[in-house]
Amino acid sequence: MKLAQLLALPATLISAVLAIPEYSEHLHLRPLPNGYLYAGFNFTASTSLSAYESQHFRYFPRSLGQILKHSGTRELHLRFALGRWDDESWGSRPRDGKREGGTGVEIWAWLDSGGGKPAVEERWSSLVNSLSGLFCASLNFIDGTKTTRPVLSFEPEGMHRGGGGGMELLHGTLPHEVVCTENLTPFLKLLPCKGKAGISSLLDGHKVFDANWQTMSIDVRPVCHVGEECRLEIQQTVDIVLDIERSMRPRNDPIPRPRPVEELECDESKSYHASDTCYPRRKEGEMAWSLSKIFGTPVRGSCHVADGDESHDISLEVSRDRAVEVLQGGSNETLVSHGQSQHVRAIRLSDTAKHTDISLPQQIIQEAPHQEQPPLYASRQITGFGQERGGMHTVLHNPHTYPQRIVYLESLPWFLRPYMHTLKVLSHPTTSHNQPATPVKPDKMFYTPALDRERGTHLELLLTIPAQSTVELTYDFDKAILRYTEYPPDANRGFDVAPAIIRVLPPNSNSTAGNEKTQDSYLRTTSLLLPLPTPDFSMPYNVIILTSTVIALGFGSIFNLLVRRFVLAEEVPRSAVAVRVAWVVGKVRGVVGGLKGRMRVGGEGGGGGGTVVGFGGAADVRGGMNGGSGGAEGRKER
Amino acid sequence: MDPTSTEDGGGVSAVEGTELPASGNAKATPPTESARTLLTRRTIVFSFWAIVLGLGLPHWLWTTSTYRASLPLSTMNDWAEGKACDLRFAFPIRVRVPGWTREEMVELSGSLSALLDHDGSDGLLDFTIHVGNADEEPILPAHGDPALTVVLHAAGSPDTNGVTSRLEPGESALHLGSGLRQAGEIADQIREITSPQQEALAYLLSGTPFAVTEHGVLRATQNTWSEASLDARNTRAFKPSTTYHLSFSLFVPGNEPSAWAIEDALAAYMTPLLDALAGVSNFTVTTQVQLHASFSPSIAGPTFDEASGKWKLRKEDLSGFVNAAEWPLSPSIGEGSTINFVLYVPAPGHSPLVVADTGGTGWLVPQWGGVAILNLDEPTTPRKSTTDTDRTTLSAANLDEIMLTFADQLTALIGLPSSPAGSLALRIAALQRERATALLLSTASTLGALSRLVHKLPNIPIPDTVATSVGTSLRHLDHACQDLRAGRYSNTDTNLGALGNAQAASEASEKAFFEPSMVGQVYFPDEHKVAVYVPLLGPMGVPLVLAGVKELLGWYRGMREKVKRT
Repeated sequence: MKLAQLLALPATLISAVLAIPEYSEHLHLRPLPNGYLYAGFNFTASTSLSAYESQHFRYFPRSLGQILKHSGTRELHLRFALGRWDDESWGSRPRDGKREGGTGVEIWAWLDSGGGKPAVEERWSSLVNSLSGLFCASLNFIDGTKTTRPVLSFEPEGMHRGGGGGMELLHGTLPHEVVCTENLTPFLKLLPCKGKAGISSLLDGHKVFDANWQTMSIDVRPVCHVGEECRLEIQQTVDIVLDIERSMRPRNDPIPRPRPVEELECDESKSYHASDTCYPRRKEGEMAWSLSKIFGTPVRGSCHVADGDESHDISLEVSRDRAVEVLQGGSNETLVSHGQSQHVRAIRLSDTAKHTDISLPQQIIQEAPHQEQPPLYASRQITGFGQERGGMHTVLHNPHTYPQRIVYLESLPWFLRPYMHTLKVLSHPTTSHNQPATPVKPDKMFYTPALDRERGTHLELLLTIPAQSTVELTYDFDKAILRYTEYPPDANRGFDVAPAIIRVLPPNSNSTAGNEKTQDSYLRTTSLLLPLPTPDFSMPYNVIILTSTVIALGFGSIFNLLVRRFVLAEEVPRSAVAVRVAWVVGKVRGVVGGLKGRMRVGGEGGGGGGTVVGFGGAADVRGGMNGGSGGAEGRKER
Repeated sequence: MDPTSTEDGGGVSAVEGTELPASGNAKATPPTESARTLLTRRTIVFSFWAIVLGLGLPHWLWTTSTYRASLPLSTMNDWAEGKACDLRFAFPIRVRVPGWTREEMVELSGSLSALLDHDGSDGLLDFTIHVGNADEEPILPAHGDPALTVVLHAAGSPDTNGVTSRLEPGESALHLGSGLRQAGEIADQIREITSPQQEALAYLLSGTPFAVTEHGVLRATQNTWSEASLDARNTRAFKPSTTYHLSFSLFVPGNEPSAWAIEDALAAYMTPLLDALAGVSNFTVTTQVQLHASFSPSIAGPTFDEASGKWKLRKEDLSGFVNAAEWPLSPSIGEGSTINFVLYVPAPGHSPLVVADTGGTGWLVPQWGGVAILNLDEPTTPRKSTTDTDRTTLSAANLDEIMLTFADQLTALIGLPSSPAGSLALRIAALQRERATALLLSTASTLGALSRLVHKLPNIPIPDTVATSVGTSLRHLDHACQDLRAGRYSNTDTNLGALGNAQAASEASEKAFFEPSMVGQVYFPDEHKVAVYVPLLGPMGVPLVLAGVKELLGWYRGMREKVKRT
């Protein structure tokens, strides 16, 4: 007890003395294996709660501050993500996966719970609609069907008044959303230096969205330090993994083209090497790169706007033997690592120099880069075939020598109807394949079944993954048939299912040894595409026509049978219509005949002989049908 | 040739022709039907038709009809045409003469009233004169608050001597010197104060159905200058709203200054004005600081003028000065309009920055907000000795002049009349009157538009909420009209007042007009209807109709034969 107090004392002292600056920014660079580079941008601004309440803003963005105040949001987390983090080769995720989102857009927030459920829903809809306008994203499509209320997966990061009572967590995802430049521009506008100075000047839509993996996050939370007024802090991060070679394509010629033969580097030791055959030689060592080549521009100026911000702007995590050069203004110096950490080299941007660039030459390093193993590997697939039913299959692999407790969260769309009685969680050790799989009993399970067109499924499981084993989680589901108007324009593409979110809980301090981690970490699977039965969209009309025809056929014959009178064929009287038609035909024929006759008469210059002939012809058909001027004239003449 | 005769002849022969073969040829005729089978068949056809007409048709009508709540269309049209309300504005005046007896005051007010009524007949304001107590203590207002109190200092106190008139900024009172004791002189003074108001109201009413011809007389006498100034005032001002969001922004091209003492400056200059305007609208205030603000590429940017040693901004560039694409000036959330106030502090290299022609540093963007440029002192002056925070922070003293500019721009942007210049209270009262009128007029035209829309689109569904909103709107309009005539302008505990009622009416009418379920009318074109109905109605309708016609004809012939026989 005493020890804990002693340990806690310096921490409080430090926080009391070192007030956090109103704004600070940081860029962390780390080369990854196979020619990739991780770049993590972090921008932190804060404002005192009293200034926020009276809506006076300095570095905290006003546009966001207003939205938060209007919607009664206590803590906000917003994520825009694209691509996949390759944990097999890149190791553990940056920032423990806490500033990462599932593919598309993800948002969760703690809202004031005053006024009951309808009031909270009203606030939530006002929040997502306003954010949708601010970030040019389709966040307004997050409605009741895409919103869940997770229980175990998230915990507030901020320090809230009253111990976090009186607020409610809502979580929404948009896996279909394509994150692009129009989301980055408003993101940069929130920064004090707006991408014009400091490290934010490196953020360019062409490079950020060309990355293999990219995630943009905005986190707003209240932070309190002892002896100081509580502050509202906004943390904006952009994490990207760039393919170094791809990023260094010249800007004026961005289209990848085959290299000229002379420039190819071939492995000449191969037996089949010839003038027309080339086996590309493996690149040796670390690639050469520089900030200006990768991002297309060096860092412009600096963004030291807040008092008391003395921290480093850029840190570079490379091997100790790697040569690093910094070009600041006109001077060129070699960057060496600081005392405490041998792998990290830090640099503070100069306030006077217009441009700062970091460049690293190609170098062969013997020492293998240190890489931390991720806490867990996870993957998720849809199984099955056909348009009626399918199955979900998640594989969680624990590579560590200690068991891990995780929270597994899935929020499924309503048209995917899972059968919870088919839920199976089986574990088998990775070391030996012979051992039979043993079922794992979830410690806790929260399940909210879906309501058609109103609510999606929420499934949360608290599991323990045994040491060095793989856990398979499977369940079956039905695919619902949507209404005609509910299909999107690209219905045959399939429907996106949001990624599963896995929270790895920190192990209890007394239970396991050999693990210093006290913070929980997050990871997300990729999003899935669910093919639903898609109709042919002219179907309604076809159905209408077909059924109408069948009905008409049946109706017509039955009706005729009921009302028709059956007589002998000879007895059938001439119908009035037929008589009338015949009369009209005769009349027309008479007119035509009369005209013909008159023309002939005109040609001969004689009297009405032709007319008589024409009348005689008509008279054969039927006496009563004489009509027309010709016939009448003929009769008169006779 | 005579076409009628030939046609007649043809018709006769045709009738003969039908009967000829039946009798002439030896063709067999079907046996005559028994009356029972005939009856059965007719019953069958009749029951089919009965089902179609009695069950099918109502069902079809019921399933395809749209719900249309009944709206008081005639009342709405009355308002739109200006028939529902004869707009007059009561203008109660209280006369108080310290030192006079009541009889003397009554006599004065009688003659004043006669004078004002004489020329008030073609005006919009209805003057009524009440006699106030001679004592200083206020009397209980029996007819609502007086719009104007005239205090005649007949006794002649030291500061109100002679023929002077004086207005108090905080109250709606006109103090007259002892030299202006004649009724005619007092009436002239009152007219001088109220004529801008009359003109403004006539301007508002002109061109609307509420403008009565007698107001036209007044309008004709108006000079063009005042019309132009009213035009300018009207185009500058925001549309009346219950809430305005004021957003004060500091834009800096570089890093500094990055803070400003805006809270102190607002408390000193804005809060008193906003408190005074509280009777007209609610105001919310937000402020922000934006660094690295660059000009839009569409403007030429400032140029350095050697002669004056100043950076000059061309007049054409003023409209594009605010870089709307990059400067985060998003409107505030919630109901109401946002008024933007932008303070721009040019970089030391570009200072002092002024507008080329006038040399001014501030301008107003109509219906958007105001812009001011603050040129800080030369960096060579004692500034170097000051501390770091002085360089990064604008003090309240720096902001004094700017805040006065912003306050001036705010009054113009909300449409506060500039006269009578002496009294803010009178100006605000005039604004209330104009606001109420403008809202009433816009509500009336909204209701008219809604009524026309309902009339023009017979397929549009009208939910009950629209009917309720229209009802609310009409009720408040009636109240507003009565309040205007009775002189209850501002709201009290018991009554919303003319302005409050007009606002409520306007909100309700907008809600009715922009009802989402009416805006999003489902597009169901006629081709689709044909595609749905023809396959069913064609094959089913033809036998039904033919059988019906045949039976009807048969029945008709039978009847005719019966008549012939008898």
